[in-house]
Amino acid sequence: MNLFASKDDVIRWLGELLKEHVVIAPVRVQEQTTFQPISQVEDVVFDFNNTALSPKGWFLPPTETLFSVQRDDGKVELVPTKVERDAVIFGLHPCDARGIALMDSPFLQEPSDALYRERRSRTALIGLACRQAQPECFCTSMGSAPDDPSNVDILLTEGEDGYIVQAVTEKGKALLPKGLAEYKGKVPAPPKLEAVPTKEVVSAMRELFNDPYWEQVADRCLHCNICAYVCPTCYCFDMRDYADKGKVERVRSWESCQSPGFSLTAGGYDPRTTKGERLRQRFCHKLLYFPEQFQDVACVGCGRCVRDCPVNIDIREVISNLKQVTEAKSGS
Amino acid sequence: MDKELIQQIRDKARNLLKEGTVEGVIGYERASDDLTSRPLFAYSPSDTERLIFDETCAHNLVKYLLDKKGKKIAVVVKPCDSRAINLLLNEGQIERDNVFIIGVGCPGMVETNWNHKSETLQAKCRTCQLFKPVVYDFLAGGEIERQAEEETYSDITEEEAKSVATRREFWLEQFGRCIRCYACRQVCPGCYCPVCFAERLDPLWVGIRIAPEENDMWQTIRSFHLAGRCIGCNECERVCPVDIPLSLLNRKLEKDVKELFAFQAGLDPEEAPPFATFKKEEVMEFEK
Amino acid sequence: MKSAYEPKVIGFLCNWCSYAGADMAGTSRMRYPQNIRIIRVPCSGRVDPLFVVKCFQRGADGVLVSGCHPGDCHYTEGNYYTRRRFALLREFLDYLGIAKERLRVEWVSASEGQKFAELLSDFTAELAGLGPRSKI
Repeated sequence: MNLFASKDDVIRWLGELLKEHVVIAPVRVQEQTTFQPISQVEDVVFDFNNTALSPKGWFLPPTETLFSVQRDDGKVELVPTKVERDAVIFGLHPCDARGIALMDSPFLQEPSDALYRERRSRTALIGLACRQAQPECFCTSMGSAPDDPSNVDILLTEGEDGYIVQAVTEKGKALLPKGLAEYKGKVPAPPKLEAVPTKEVVSAMRELFNDPYWEQVADRCLHCNICAYVCPTCYCFDMRDYADKGKVERVRSWESCQSPGFSLTAGGYDPRTTKGERLRQRFCHKLLYFPEQFQDVACVGCGRCVRDCPVNIDIREVISNLKQVTEAKSGS
Repeated sequence: MDKELIQQIRDKARNLLKEGTVEGVIGYERASDDLTSRPLFAYSPSDTERLIFDETCAHNLVKYLLDKKGKKIAVVVKPCDSRAINLLLNEGQIERDNVFIIGVGCPGMVETNWNHKSETLQAKCRTCQLFKPVVYDFLAGGEIERQAEEETYSDITEEEAKSVATRREFWLEQFGRCIRCYACRQVCPGCYCPVCFAERLDPLWVGIRIAPEENDMWQTIRSFHLAGRCIGCNECERVCPVDIPLSLLNRKLEKDVKELFAFQAGLDPEEAPPFATFKKEEVMEFEK
Repeated sequence: MKSAYEPKVIGFLCNWCSYAGADMAGTSRMRYPQNIRIIRVPCSGRVDPLFVVKCFQRGADGVLVSGCHPGDCHYTEGNYYTRRRFALLREFLDYLGIAKERLRVEWVSASEGQKFAELLSDFTAELAGLGPRSKI
């Protein structure tokens, strides 16, 4: 059953949620929209294209202390980081919600990541269906859709004079404000998106591993980490122990397979030294290794990497090119 | 788009590849948005048909010469980019004989993002006084005449007039947004250390924390390593995904280097850079 | 009662002049503030701006870089490079919000124990006046 909430209802509801929860919502920072814990409901932006960074940072923060070890009076104590409060992520688009669902595969598989698991179970997701697609969007080719309710607890769809509210899970139902009227009208149709031949390429990826295509497309790659850091599904990290005056902290930070030191091993050997090898790793992880391990393609089609790549390495174009390479191979 | 200019670039590139003068030509092609541009690596004469040049060709392609050391390569350069060639020659990173420079006069580049092209010139282009590359083998499209504002560093002097505490707050806020994607480093033609100080593990100069204090260390040293070396292409600021105003750092150093040492990077491939030389008789402020 | 603020100072002193100058101050029993932690370097030209920025990042209130007087460098010209480098770094750190008074560059010869002691008293007093650096 769909419910209806006016924009004022939604704002009041967010105000209520803010009393008991950390509310992470899209806000304006400089010229950009980005997800941040809010202090007041007035800051929330309702009308936005995909945010600068995805909301994955709530579950896998750019930097966090996993635990610290303290020495006090000869006693050594391990202090794990605690998740203090329940949280709500408000306004995430279906693609971003799918990104979080995909991150669950590696992080919740046993042995699961304690901090991730804790944050995940204590966070509710309130999605916002996309009424408009951007030219870089291709979620329908990556197992999602602009109105996909499958990875959120509640899905809002903007209608005339307000929002159509769909409680997807029990967790979502419990969060709903009381007294919302039933909505009997039609739910507006989602925007149409162009298709990318994902399936064909995923099944051919093993054969493409040694193709010269990788070196060609990597020629212009700068090997910055932008694509990985804006991606809702890239989850690689680095860890380091920080020691200072009787206290040691184990810190985890984002890291990317594109950066020069990523695959360097002790002793100095680096299995991925060329630009092509490094760029191939990005696409193979998304289109080959992740599907082999977890059955899903590790891309949600949010288009952030397309939007932000300084040299226009467009994953949709890469997939199309790979399809051509495959066809040329099988043809000859 | 200047069709005549593009034809000249294509013809030159095609001939260079046909004659075997170079192995590859680095230029620009249309991006996947059909509006802006991106780097193109042309290895066969037929590839050269994709070459273009217009007001969206912001990338400084000189950076890629560092990936192609020892190979004969032709590269399309704008006037500001050409200063990077002098920088790399000056620092012994590339050999003049290996590079064929296809220079283009520059009408100024506009602000672009993927699928967005504005009418506004980039800030660096509004005050740029170079209309012709400082070094080239072939000049496509001939010389360009245009008027540019004078570089006054007004935004820098405005910052300088603020209190130290205000500036500290401002920069920590800016650096606080940094996600350490290192795009600023990766795009910079002056950043080519085999192992960047940010990647050294022992001693660990910059930690892995993506947090204001460590970002501050990264950005301070990154920009200072480019003191007297930054050629002002402003690519770092353009690619920054979180819009940190890096030109305020680079141009501050450029201004001070001009004032203190009367030096500008990339204008002369022979002139000693400011930190590789000195004058015995000079007196610095702290000595007074 | 809260103890008075004691600024932390890191000093990079060149082996040939300034370190010997500091030694001279010590052996001559001159009094100077104990706020400085001295790091001996072969030449003031050895001091990478990175060292200085790292000191500030790790919580130093002031940094002193000290070497032979221009013309007296043990390696003939090391300190001429130092002079240029830190003239620019002082301006740049100031611009980033670390007051340039916090980075001192001074020429102290092996015989200038007195100068070294006075310089440190002066520097420490100045830093105390500036107060602690705002914590990030």
